[in-house]
Amino acid sequence: MVALLVGMCPGLDEGLLRSLRAADIRTVEDLVSSDIEDLAQKCSVSYKALFAVRRVLLAQHTAFPVSGADLYEELLSSTAILSTGNPSLDKLLDSGLYTGEITELTGGPGSGKSQVCFGVAVHIAYHLKQSVIYIDTTGGLTAGRLLQMLQTETNNRDEQMEALQRIHTFRLFDVCALLDCLYGLICGRGRGACVGGGSVKALIVDSVSAVIAPLLGGKQNEGMSLMRQVAAALKTMAKDFSVAVLVTNHVTRSGSGEAQPGLGVSWSHVPTTRILLERVESGASGRRSATLIKSSRQACLIKEDFDLQWWSRAEGGRGGGGGGETSGKRKLDETDP
Amino acid sequence: MFWHQNSLCCDFHVGVSLQLLARLEARRCLKDIEPQLFADDGGPDRGEVVEVYGPEGTGKTELLYHLLCRCVLPEAAGGLEVDVVFVDTDYSLDVFRLASVLDSRLSAVLRSCLSRLLVVRCSSSSELLLTLHFLETTLSSRPKAALLLIDSISAFYWSDRSEGGASVAKQEEKLSRCSELLGRLLRDYRITIFATCHPIRRTSSGPPSSSSEADRSHLCRAWQRLVTHRLVCSKQEAEHNPANGDQGSGEQRNRQVFTVHCSSWTGTKGSRVSSFRVTDGGVEFVWTHRPPPGLSVVL
Repeated sequence: MVALLVGMCPGLDEGLLRSLRAADIRTVEDLVSSDIEDLAQKCSVSYKALFAVRRVLLAQHTAFPVSGADLYEELLSSTAILSTGNPSLDKLLDSGLYTGEITELTGGPGSGKSQVCFGVAVHIAYHLKQSVIYIDTTGGLTAGRLLQMLQTETNNRDEQMEALQRIHTFRLFDVCALLDCLYGLICGRGRGACVGGGSVKALIVDSVSAVIAPLLGGKQNEGMSLMRQVAAALKTMAKDFSVAVLVTNHVTRSGSGEAQPGLGVSWSHVPTTRILLERVESGASGRRSATLIKSSRQACLIKEDFDLQWWSRAEGGRGGGGGGETSGKRKLDETDP
Repeated sequence: MFWHQNSLCCDFHVGVSLQLLARLEARRCLKDIEPQLFADDGGPDRGEVVEVYGPEGTGKTELLYHLLCRCVLPEAAGGLEVDVVFVDTDYSLDVFRLASVLDSRLSAVLRSCLSRLLVVRCSSSSELLLTLHFLETTLSSRPKAALLLIDSISAFYWSDRSEGGASVAKQEEKLSRCSELLGRLLRDYRITIFATCHPIRRTSSGPPSSSSEADRSHLCRAWQRLVTHRLVCSKQEAEHNPANGDQGSGEQRNRQVFTVHCSSWTGTKGSRVSSFRVTDGGVEFVWTHRPPPGLSVVL
């Protein structure tokens, strides 16, 4: 509810405000919903003046309608697809993370969600040369790991530092701090990073369920409302600023024993695309399987296996490159041991 | 003073008569918007509200795109050529998906089709209420607008509940006001409304029935009174047909099939069950089935 205040619009002066309050009209919604003719008589003000005030307030506070054709043109020019750096994941995501959408990675502990997030951040910062905002709520992000991944891409110290500088990190552990951070990013205050600048193309939140899950359940409604606010803030960032949002979520077991994403039914319609990560029983320790469980572009339930070490692969096998080699990508013809 | 009052009355009367004219012009009836969904001749008439209910991933937004395309396509291409207003409270409108569905029907006139669509995004129930007031002027100035799509009407349920505190009346106040306003728009402008609604608790998988407890709407009474048709969407188990050969229909094999159960309690009371798949070209109905005439609809 938006309260009526003096000076909100031309024509809304002290006298008018007092007479409106006397008629029990305190908010913009009350004024807009009431019958102007009656109100003009009750407050003994001119119908014309009140009608003009109503029209200005309505124009100030409503959402502006946009024609479908204009929306389409605008999106055509501003939407981009960011590759994740891993071709199997890109295949699942229909060539990568789309800006303007929220993609969710869900999986049990140790399924590699954070590793995938690190890899995506490094790929976008180094190869695509775009800024990334990384919000860490689990404490799992270390600069050392990011540096290690970058060192397999290039040996040039300057390039490594430049790429690391493009990754802006925030570490927070409760939902109010998360909301504060997200609103700050939208408004442009806070530590230098601002989504409005245009160079931020990706926002990674690892993990969103860690801050929201403790608030759900029980009789209080606060948790659901806060979850809804986080969803609205993420969606605003994605749509209005053309940012690709990647979030991670935990899993719970459904009645029949299958793994399903956490945070319940009310969160399930927030992400546009959902991927379930699982360990592969047989095979090397780095192998994971990713299943597409929700997508608006592809048939669901397609599965891809991939290697978590894809982002840290280097010439000559696992564990970092040998001395003196120039950076280079290993071709896909070798299979991982 | 007298002259001043007189000119005020003049303005007032001119304003009212313009509105009156806009209301009297008949807007297109949408009874035939999708005969496969509704019982025989039971499609939504002017002034009626359809609620599309179902958990996520059951094809509600795809259905809305299907109906939207049917409305904005020109008559030569099999459409109804009416204007549509889309109120997006979920930030879930995917214009590219809509464009690709339209494209597969008719690529040349994509832009003119899309210009018949008006999109409004709301981020809170106060904004929704104010926007609906504003839409009244939009509807007056667009006599061809016949369809209002709201995706979704339950988006602010939890925010309203926590703002309302302990009193249920306060919690439901904003949505009740929106529903009353929608009722007035329906009566005055004779448009048709389709709105999606997300459930708040997980339902156990199984065939949906119209008397199921879990599918009852959780929204306020003012909204429930407005709704005249209800489409309950659900997912069927994915079909696995290993017996099918690999000629071309390999893609189709794993396409999810969605079921829609329609109950109407206005005009021709009836119910219908239909199924559809989502393909690149949009919604494709698979088979439809009508329950035997003896079965009564339990609301």
